[in-house]
Amino acid sequence: MISCGEDKPEPEPFQPTPYQIEVPYGFPTIFNIPEDNPMTVEGIELGRYLFYDGRMSGRTHPDSLMSCATCHIQANSFECGINHPEYIGGFTHGITGKPTPHVMLPMINLVWNSYGYLWNGFVSKDNPNPNYRNIEALVWMGIVAEHEMNSDTNLAKETIQNIPGYPELFKKAFGSETVTVKNMSKAIAQFIRTLISANSKFDKYMRGEVQLTQSELSGFVLFTTEEGADCFHCHGGFGNPMFTTNLFYNNGKDSLFTGQFEDLRDRYHVTGDPMDLGAYKATTLRNIELTGPYMHDGRFATLDDVINFYSHDLVWSPYVNPLMHHINNQGVQLTPQEKADLKAFIQTLRDDEFLTNPDFGPPDKFPDEE
Amino acid sequence: MSKNIINIILLTLVSTAFFSCKEKPDPPEVEQHIVINFDFKNNGEYLEFDTMMYINEAGNHYMVNEIQFFISDVILHNSDGSEFLIDDWKDIHYVDTDVPATHNWEVFDNIPAGEYEKVSFTFGISEEKNHSFMFPNPPERDMFWPEFLGGGYHYMKLNGKWLDDNQQISPFDFHMGIGQIYYSYPDSITDFVQNAYEVVLPNSSFDLEENSTKNISFIMNVEKWFESPHTYDHNIWKGYIMQNQEAMNVACENGHDVFTIGF
Ligand code: HEC
Ligand code: HEC
Repeated sequence: MISCGEDKPEPEPFQPTPYQIEVPYGFPTIFNIPEDNPMTVEGIELGRYLFYDGRMSGRTHPDSLMSCATCHIQANSFECGINHPEYIGGFTHGITGKPTPHVMLPMINLVWNSYGYLWNGFVSKDNPNPNYRNIEALVWMGIVAEHEMNSDTNLAKETIQNIPGYPELFKKAFGSETVTVKNMSKAIAQFIRTLISANSKFDKYMRGEVQLTQSELSGFVLFTTEEGADCFHCHGGFGNPMFTTNLFYNNGKDSLFTGQFEDLRDRYHVTGDPMDLGAYKATTLRNIELTGPYMHDGRFATLDDVINFYSHDLVWSPYVNPLMHHINNQGVQLTPQEKADLKAFIQTLRDDEFLTNPDFGPPDKFPDEE
Repeated sequence: MSKNIINIILLTLVSTAFFSCKEKPDPPEVEQHIVINFDFKNNGEYLEFDTMMYINEAGNHYMVNEIQFFISDVILHNSDGSEFLIDDWKDIHYVDTDVPATHNWEVFDNIPAGEYEKVSFTFGISEEKNHSFMFPNPPERDMFWPEFLGGGYHYMKLNGKWLDDNQQISPFDFHMGIGQIYYSYPDSITDFVQNAYEVVLPNSSFDLEENSTKNISFIMNVEKWFESPHTYDHNIWKGYIMQNQEAMNVACENGHDVFTIGF
């Protein structure tokens, strides 16, 4: 201390290599990384194995395997996709067949979300229960949820402990060969935090590397103007390339007279604030063309359906967010040409590099394979 | 030597060693600070949110859901004629009714003691400072003003609802920022208008004593946005004004006396 911090700490039993996230142009500089889980190369490597390993479910029989990647598929921006052979129409269910309460969310740029995970933001730093504060929580929750792996955490950790190769990886990442649920969670969360999308056509346009077509540009103007389609207040734009605020809004899908605010997992059930009835997270529009069906309940199958909704089918209720100021005109009233332009712009948010980056994909082989 | 004295010596040693690592000069002997609190009122009472309990000058029944705004260039005018610009790294301050941490601005600067005649500031962000991308992080980030409409950041978002002509509850987004002059609306813009303006707070003289911290409040009196010199009627201007320079101009002119000071 007196020597101004030049003294070296005692040699530690393990020395994981720190991993530094590079901040892409225009992206936030503040990360949501818990203090007790700094990112390391070894942690991320382990996390990637676990993310893709069906034995995480605590089972080894080939018919009963389930991993995070069973549902969260890279090619679909880490959703299952609307053409999934088992999850018909993109509606996921757990290993027992129990449907998930909502449709999926993508995994893009989550390291920059400090306002809460899941459609209603239940998992956030504001949760009074420390077990539900960050991405780490989604790991054990996924293992035990009936509508996901329907397993138990002891089974999961014993199964992983007994697979040759894993204990050494845990040692490299966390200093001990003993597999714990805590360390499994930490490793997978580290991997998820590396899933960064910053190279869509629109990103390249922002950096001055490519031009947008006339239609895409018109769509961009529509997206960011109140007279146009008016999407930017909730879904970002040039000054917010996350393409989401990560905040929660009621975007005018339902009237309360038809009893449609009965979802026990909306924002209201997290905050208790009546203004949050029927409110959900405004999801990122990056790679959105790949992540149907749309809205928390998957009510729209295509982007065209979504654009038609914002254009003509808004429904008034006392809880609709004030940013939906077109509500009493039933929508922003786009012409067919404007709809086509808006869609063309939204499609510039597809990032093929992200969808095919081998670092995000399944490992060539698992730790116990030759 | 008693244990206490040893402790003190040790502490001094440690702290000198500690200070010698930093390159900052020793702190000055006397320091004066100010803390600016932000309050919201409507007709003299603290503002209540999400309830249709207010009536503006035009007779519109309305509610306020949230208010987010920037102020900048806060200047303390000394009675000796000198001016003190609060100019540390936070010289643009963001206030958000949903984010309590933004309601208190602990000004970093050490401010000369003395008599101050008045306080002024810029509502919004002046042209020189209003650059796109300067706030990459939320919550300030979410105030960005679209490039096509002039770029930079919203000066304010005041979101609420009013009971419109058809007796329907309609949202209004009272948003201010850089305005546009259109050649043909809404596609071709020929010029931009910097709408940020100076506010001089009435009755804002105060003394700053040596070695003291002064708490002052900037109070936004919400009803004033809709009062004078222009009666602002939501039925006329409708729910959104970012592309309506005429409406934003009315808002700015009404805005001169929206703020008062409290000690
Ligand atoms: C059965 C399919 C399924 C499996 C398996 C699954 N998930 Fe999910 N995941 C979902 C669904 C559905 C959601 C949206 C849940 C909600 O908010 O209601 C989701 C949401 C998430 C989110 C939140 C994203 C955001 O933006 O808030 C994270 C993180 C996540 N899952 C991680 C995991 C991890 C880690 C695993 C493996 C341990 C996993 N998931 C396994 C279906 C699945
Ligand atoms: C008031 C804020 C707000 C505005 C304005 C807004 N949205 Fe949304 N958007 C949301 C919310 C909230 C959701 C999620 C709602 C839900 O799941 O029930 C959403 C969902 C979506 C989805 C589906 C996302 C998914 O993963 O399923 C798309 C696509 C979308 N919006 C596009 C747009 C477009 C295009 C516009 C402009 C025409 C727009 N939004 C305007 C708040 C907004």
